Amino acid sequence: MDRQRAPFSSAPNRYLQPPTSADRVPLRKQLKQEAKALRSHKKQRKETEEASRQEWELTVGVEIHAQLNTEAKLFSRAPTSTSDTPNSNVALFDLAFPGSQPEFQIATLLPALRAAIALNCEIQPVSRFDRKHYFYQDQPAGYQITQYYEPFARDGYVDLFDYDGIAPEDGERVRIDIKQLQLEQDTAKSQEYPPSTQLLDFNRVSHPLIEIITMPQIHTPATAAACVRKLQAIVQSCGAVTTGMEMGGLRADVNVSVRRRGQAAGQHQYDGITGLGQRTEIKNLSSFKAVEDAIIAEKNRQIGVLESGGVIEGETRGWTIGSTETRRLRGKEGSVDYRYMPDPDIPPLIIGEDLLSSLRESLPTAPDTLLTLLVGSEFNLPIEDAKPLIELDDGARLEYYHDVVDILRSLQVDQDDKTRASLARVASNWVLHELGGLLAKADQTWDAETVPSRSLAHLIDHLQRKLITGPTAKQVLATIFDGDRRPVPQLLEEENLLLRPLSREEYLALAESVIALNPQMVEQIRSKNQLGKLGWFVGQMMRTGEKGRVEAPKAEEILRELILG
Amino acid sequence: MSLLREAERCIANQYAHGFNAFITPLSRAGPWLDRVKEADGRKEEGKPKSAVDGRLISIKDNICTRDLPTTCASGILDKFTSPFNATVVDQLEAAGAIVAGKTNLDEFGMGSNSTNSHFGPVKNPRQDSSGEDLSAGGSSGGSAASVAADQCHASLGTDTGGSVRLPAAYTGTVGFKPSYGLISRWGVVAYANSLDTVGIMGKTTASVRDIFDILNQHDHRDPTSLSISSRSRIQASLQTPQLRSRLTSAPLRIGVPIEYNVSELTPSVRRAWALSLAHLKKQGHTVHSVYLPDTKHALSTYYVLGPAEASSNLAKYDGVRYGTRAEGPDGDGKPDGYLFSNTRGQGFGQEVKRRIVLGTFTLSADAIDNYFIQAQRVRRLVQQDFDAVFTAKHPLAAQGADKIAKENDVDVIICPTAPSSPPRLSDLMSISTKKSPLDAYVTDVFTVPASLAGLPAISVPVTVSGQQDAELAGIQVIGQYGDDQLVMKVGEMLEGRNLD
Repeated sequence: MDRQRAPFSSAPNRYLQPPTSADRVPLRKQLKQEAKALRSHKKQRKETEEASRQEWELTVGVEIHAQLNTEAKLFSRAPTSTSDTPNSNVALFDLAFPGSQPEFQIATLLPALRAAIALNCEIQPVSRFDRKHYFYQDQPAGYQITQYYEPFARDGYVDLFDYDGIAPEDGERVRIDIKQLQLEQDTAKSQEYPPSTQLLDFNRVSHPLIEIITMPQIHTPATAAACVRKLQAIVQSCGAVTTGMEMGGLRADVNVSVRRRGQAAGQHQYDGITGLGQRTEIKNLSSFKAVEDAIIAEKNRQIGVLESGGVIEGETRGWTIGSTETRRLRGKEGSVDYRYMPDPDIPPLIIGEDLLSSLRESLPTAPDTLLTLLVGSEFNLPIEDAKPLIELDDGARLEYYHDVVDILRSLQVDQDDKTRASLARVASNWVLHELGGLLAKADQTWDAETVPSRSLAHLIDHLQRKLITGPTAKQVLATIFDGDRRPVPQLLEEENLLLRPLSREEYLALAESVIALNPQMVEQIRSKNQLGKLGWFVGQMMRTGEKGRVEAPKAEEILRELILG
Repeated sequence: MSLLREAERCIANQYAHGFNAFITPLSRAGPWLDRVKEADGRKEEGKPKSAVDGRLISIKDNICTRDLPTTCASGILDKFTSPFNATVVDQLEAAGAIVAGKTNLDEFGMGSNSTNSHFGPVKNPRQDSSGEDLSAGGSSGGSAASVAADQCHASLGTDTGGSVRLPAAYTGTVGFKPSYGLISRWGVVAYANSLDTVGIMGKTTASVRDIFDILNQHDHRDPTSLSISSRSRIQASLQTPQLRSRLTSAPLRIGVPIEYNVSELTPSVRRAWALSLAHLKKQGHTVHSVYLPDTKHALSTYYVLGPAEASSNLAKYDGVRYGTRAEGPDGDGKPDGYLFSNTRGQGFGQEVKRRIVLGTFTLSADAIDNYFIQAQRVRRLVQQDFDAVFTAKHPLAAQGADKIAKENDVDVIICPTAPSSPPRLSDLMSISTKKSPLDAYVTDVFTVPASLAGLPAISVPVTVSGQQDAELAGIQVIGQYGDDQLVMKVGEMLEGRNLD
């Protein structure tokens, strides 16, 4: 309440007093100063980071919790939709009613196994469920059902490449081993209204999650963030997970330790990796930036403690977005003994090779393979176009792109090889940038039917054959985007948009008229050789000429002829 | 006698001689009267729905019923009514039976005398020679008392480590714990899932068998319910000529575990045991010593595993979603405090708290290897002990592991149900004579092994002439997994016998 009322009480004062002239700095100057300060700050930070990297080795392991793409909860038939009215999607077992029992939903296994296969794991023929005990009101049973002793998948890996955004010092590729994947339940959503109200929504309770645990093999904050991003991309591209970090469907915990380079190995070992320093865990990071920033902050905190002769405590820490320091949540003495116990009600999971082989066959192509394909000779896309095509809209954008290219290639069978080879790149520009721009402007989400792939292919075909001009193509795209469903050839015909090339005489007449209106500019071009100004004249010709008929290259040719002789 | 007369007499007994057997008795009038009258009509036509059509069956108050509260005799659920019926309740009602009220118990099934109840102790309908009130046994003491006092036709209890067999022995009734997994646990409030079974109590083995035949069905809602294919495997294994001939053409081989002749055994119970064996010998059966070397660890194993599972199962009771909350704000007034420390502190009784703490310890990181994991290993050994002495091999054991018949294999094991006759309630309740909880734990020494191994076991009453007057004792019959019918048949041979 207070927060809402405050602006009203202070507002009048602020508006009645004009700023004093002494405070006044020209905006432009101010912006320049700020940008400069930021640059020097970044540079300084980069230098200190590099210095500390030279001296200290950072080690990071990542744990990711992702909501599986399933219809039902892990142990009940209640739907997983969390957007419904609070507490409407709950079965007796989800609320831990006395006498209720779990009913494992076999369909959950499919996305979980897809993720495990996509992460190159060894799927365990037998795995089991355990209870992880802790008291909190978002955990109805007083325990979470997870797979602690015998997870369903082990020993996988994820490859991170330079284009995934790993730190330069990691080179072109690093491989991060994955220790295990486990199935587990999500908790309820709780909202605190201090001092005495807590609201609980059990719709999310027992939503199936997979937890992905990497080995502590990451040594830079950027690579850790890249790792989380890549893991998200992989589990999304194989259909295991639909909602990413931005929607709260994926959360990361990181464990962080440092050790001084060139000194005796540390005392600690985690997951079989020895010689590490004492680690701390940062819980519940909800963006890639938070992962990177929190690791930098925690690394610097640990180095600070060690350099001033202190000792790192094994503790759990938290991170608030926008802050510069991690904060302590609970220390070792306050750490929870989860008292893991095999769940006596749930039979072991037995996964057969037949199921695995059929899943392996139906698994979509891995993002890295797609990337190799798109940047390869068949499509020849730049990496900065290939990546968004793969990542956008859960693969729907890429599918659409493939449709456009396929249709376009069939439309252009009569063209020579060189022209046809360039089609993939032209199409990617239209799919990503032109169509993407319209989507962004209209604030719409992706739908392959907004502009049917056939329409876009026909549009590009016309443009490539110089039957329409570029501006016309863009204008027609917007018309289709807004719902015009006429076939493109018909639309162009009816709207009279097909290019009727101007004759040389018409170009000459057009050029002479704009030159006559601007003699001094012509003079500048001639005497000072300001050829850039030719472009201005081209624009004038296009504006004054008949819409969609003036072709820029031809206009420039005529202008050169008239002005420069 | 008409079913209606019988039912009315039961109700009259419920209200006249309570013995505190019921937490929620059946109301005198209600729609159930019409259901009994309808059953009478079917009976007259010779078309009853089942052997229990129109009969009153009381239900232990840790089995969920939609129409009556389910308190588990706990303060934390003292006003709780479940939104659903347990499968066993649905099965009985479908067979025409009437729920005769909800019976008293040790809170959540934890106890051996039915004194650990939020609603006060159950009294045994029998008194000792000096007129003192006796323990009805636990934890299904209310069920046992309701059967013994003719307050119902039969009763459903639960048996985790002896909870229907011990009260049966103390009250002179029949208590049967079937093989684990035969009867659905959906709607049975878990104490220790891997040991919990629904048990049946009645005046006679025949009435118990009638009910068992109704409940012995697969239930997809209980993940530990035996599948239909496993049930066929069991049936097939019992059809081998050797097993089929038992009690029909071949005499029984009866096992007597020599380790069970413990010092805690009172003379009268030891005598009842010996006379029971002598009686069976007279019928032409043979008696053989068997060795169950690991059963001496069974009791401590049970008191590690039971509380461990209990500490986990009872973590759900926080008064947040259901149940009774403690008065006033919880969480020590801190915004990040737990919402339910006071609720759990006030809602649970002493014995429940003791077992939660025990279980929390045995599962803790430093103790789990020495306690919980070790107990699981011993549990496996106890099961192997039994497998080694029974002629029938475990029907669900891995295929191909054929059992080599040994000379001393037996068909069933016979031993006492409890080492002594029921203690006086006054001794259990008064501070001066109150014994350590361990004394109560010892009464489970004969019943716990069958629970750990998941085996069928029945307690039947026999009478032996004592020094002053006839003394009642419970004799237990234990069989191989799946051999439930044989166990009941052998129980029937001893049930109600006057031996001397």
